[in-house]
Amino acid sequence: MFNNFRQAMTWLHTWMGLLLGFVLMVCFFFGSLAVFDREIDRWAIPQTRFEPQPMPSFDKLLLPILQKLEPDAKDYADNMPLLHDSAKGPMTPRLELPPDEYWAYTTHRDPVLTMGAGFRVPLAKNPDDHNHIHGDTTIDPRSGARVRDDALKIGSRWFYPLHYSLNWTWKDIGYWIVGLAAFTMLVALVTGVVMHRRIFREFFTFRPRKHTQRSALDLHNLTGVVALPFHFFFAFTGLVIFASFFYFPVSHTLLKPLHDRHEAHEAQATGLPHERSGQAAPLASVDAMVLEAKRRWAARDMAGEVGFLQVHHVGDANGYVSIFRAGSDRVALVGEGIHFKASTGGVLREDPPRTVVSEINEFLTGLHLQHFEHWLLRWLYVLGGLLGCVCIATGFVFFVEKRKAAHARAGSAGSLVVDALAVATVTGMVIAAVGMLVVNRLLPADTVGKGDWERLAFWGFWVLALLHALARSGPVAQARLNPAWREQCWALSGLAVAAVGMNWATTGDHLMRTVFTHTYWPVAGVDLSLLAAAGIAAWSARKLALREQGSPTPLSTAQVAEAAHV
Amino acid sequence: MARTAPATVQFSTMNDSLPPASPAAKSRHALLSLAASFGFTWGFVALGVAGLTALGMDYHESEKGLMLLAFVVFLPLFLWAFACARPAWALVLLGTGAAGMTAAAWALQRAVLA
Repeated sequence: MFNNFRQAMTWLHTWMGLLLGFVLMVCFFFGSLAVFDREIDRWAIPQTRFEPQPMPSFDKLLLPILQKLEPDAKDYADNMPLLHDSAKGPMTPRLELPPDEYWAYTTHRDPVLTMGAGFRVPLAKNPDDHNHIHGDTTIDPRSGARVRDDALKIGSRWFYPLHYSLNWTWKDIGYWIVGLAAFTMLVALVTGVVMHRRIFREFFTFRPRKHTQRSALDLHNLTGVVALPFHFFFAFTGLVIFASFFYFPVSHTLLKPLHDRHEAHEAQATGLPHERSGQAAPLASVDAMVLEAKRRWAARDMAGEVGFLQVHHVGDANGYVSIFRAGSDRVALVGEGIHFKASTGGVLREDPPRTVVSEINEFLTGLHLQHFEHWLLRWLYVLGGLLGCVCIATGFVFFVEKRKAAHARAGSAGSLVVDALAVATVTGMVIAAVGMLVVNRLLPADTVGKGDWERLAFWGFWVLALLHALARSGPVAQARLNPAWREQCWALSGLAVAAVGMNWATTGDHLMRTVFTHTYWPVAGVDLSLLAAAGIAAWSARKLALREQGSPTPLSTAQVAEAAHV
Repeated sequence: MARTAPATVQFSTMNDSLPPASPAAKSRHALLSLAASFGFTWGFVALGVAGLTALGMDYHESEKGLMLLAFVVFLPLFLWAFACARPAWALVLLGTGAAGMTAAAWALQRAVLA
């Protein structure tokens, strides 16, 4: 099929890279934004613009809210019929489901607190499974006031999940597509090294004044090489994070009996009950447990705040409370969990030191998920992610530039379609993200279903960008530049400035205030990033205009028609 | 003056080169290589987890270890299967390995649970 190994690798690099490159752009761009997802949340929900808070009193503030939580109607409608065994009796109504689990989570970057409950399905098909219908909420931890459910956290609930699931949860298909794209990234990096044997020289080669095809390839190679370890690491760890859930779920399929027996043994060994006992029991003071956990952490020379708290088997004699430390002072994603008997508050167990395998796994996944406090490293993550976007985008440009003259002569639409998809994936995607922020500021905070309108705006902007790119792609059929690149750069520039202006107009938080007089970096950072994006887009538009003026004379209709018949 | 290869060498190279495969055939081969190497890796993960657990390692530790190894195995296998000079042979080998290791993992699990 191929004459040599290098030829096979070149084919894979070109075609797998092209096919999955569009998805990879989404992963890298929204992955970069996800580094500051909580800050974007603050920008999008102005009533949450205050400083991050430690975990508040569980007994006084969180428990009364948790006790009033209801199972989510959509979760109930989607999952209750799957979990409930109708042969055992009628389905329990949504509001009568008993709570089985409570949890609360906060981070060093998040002023608001996310909390929720897992409600037990009484007559489950498989009682050994984790049969829960969920209900969660977000509160202001200073007062307990709930943030509106339809106020979409654009950073952490839209941009962040886009980068690993495309927000396409039907049959988990988004996870699989992203998994294939991440694997393609690994393939593209290895095949790229095989293809380009002079990797050291390419590291120092960039000729921006050469023709577009040459410059694009130089930049593709340079960004691919300079951030190669970064790209490989993120694609690899992204796959590892989801491997046991989606890609190799042996514990839920082939090895489920072995896994379940281990869970039961583990429950015996750790003293943390796997099942409910069926006997009712009260809940002791969780605040006292938190104090004891903090005392034990301090005794181990790792004083810190609570990051995650979970109550298992709520209201049952087998209930226990797990308290995990906010590990934002280290890379590894660990919490030094301490577990208490829910009814008495006595310590059941302290998590032991980790094994070598766990150390490696938690360090790698922690480095990907970056829960640590290190602002310079966070910005380097953004830079690395954007370099990935440049690498993929220049790959698209090179693909089109290399072929468009030949396709024009042959009358093929290949370059035209790839170019339009590239426009939509590069400038169109950023327009969709920034356009969503503009709509967020345009819609009043009390608009019913505000989050749904914002999601609709996101997809709407993106579809419009694709239609625009297709409609303006005529010149590509004549081996010239698609003016949609330039026009969408101008649109992006305008939208980004509008977003900053709208933020000022609707909240009063202009940059003089958020940088100097009432410094609030989460909002200032988003505004400054938007202005930087506007500047880069305007500069790119001007450069593209110059390129368009210097692009080759279009082929005449007769030439194209004649070439098509060759 | 540029050096050119002797006519006999040029002829020999042309004779040695394979007939060009269609894009559809190459795409099909890429998909088959992907499926076969994925299947092999699945079997490797399953057998690895079952095997390490049978040897006394904690279940979740063996699972984590194998998840770290899975893509280190999957990636070169896929590249090899795609570039292999005898593609059918590579696919049969990977398929047999996948089935064999999955069956062995299942049998090992039964033995451990018995």
